Amino acid sequence: MELKTFPAHVDSLDPLRQYVKEISQQAGLDKKATYNLILAIDEIATNIILYGYQNAGLEGIIDVKTEVADNQLKVIFEDDAAPFDPTTRELPDQEDFDLPLDERPIGGLGIYLTINGVSEFKYEYSNNRNRNIFIVDIKSP
Amino acid sequence: MKIAENIVESIAVIEVEGNIDSKTAPEFEKAAINAIKGQGQVIIDLSKVEFLSSAGLRVLLMIYRQIKAQNGKVVLVGVSEEIQDVMSNTGFINFFIIVATIEEGIESLKQG
Repeated sequence: MELKTFPAHVDSLDPLRQYVKEISQQAGLDKKATYNLILAIDEIATNIILYGYQNAGLEGIIDVKTEVADNQLKVIFEDDAAPFDPTTRELPDQEDFDLPLDERPIGGLGIYLTINGVSEFKYEYSNNRNRNIFIVDIKSP
Repeated sequence: MKIAENIVESIAVIEVEGNIDSKTAPEFEKAAINAIKGQGQVIIDLSKVEFLSSAGLRVLLMIYRQIKAQNGKVVLVGVSEEIQDVMSNTGFINFFIIVATIEEGIESLKQG
């Protein structure tokens, strides 16, 4: 398992996406799967940076762990902000997406994109750390 | 991210280059609000945008609402396949006119 640490700041989003993109390409993900994973990690990193740390007046880091095993790429974010489980948020559904854009609620869009962008998304809280886990199945070409 | 605002044949044209994420979306929003002030139609060129997060979708939604209030239309140019997929999964795509070039965008707005 590889570890790279990023400061919890919006300036880290670009290098973070670059890093995960390289790992995805090495793991053999296609263009679409790579994009959707990058979108997922960007959305969760944004939440951690803005709501976990910044709004709480905290500075901190995001540890990014990556691993390829059993035809799956696993990316794990660990942070020290207050516990926040994205999977408990109410997400928009098809009914919301069918509404005209001027009537629709906009909350939860990022987490919707996260969950839909990967094969599996999990959240754990252990050792006083949030763990956001992104798993993508690697399809053989 | 770089943003250029122009008026072409009395239509506001916003060209964006780079990634639209939660770092850059506020800048995109500010430029867009400025560019669409008093405008009924807008063309947003996204052909040099590789990445657009939900922060960027929110700005597109804001632009759509403003222009819709003037009974206008929003044209998006050169949207990548990946971004189009995200827009269609979230029901955003149907509210915008999606074209390949700025010229096509101007043409479609002129036809009403």
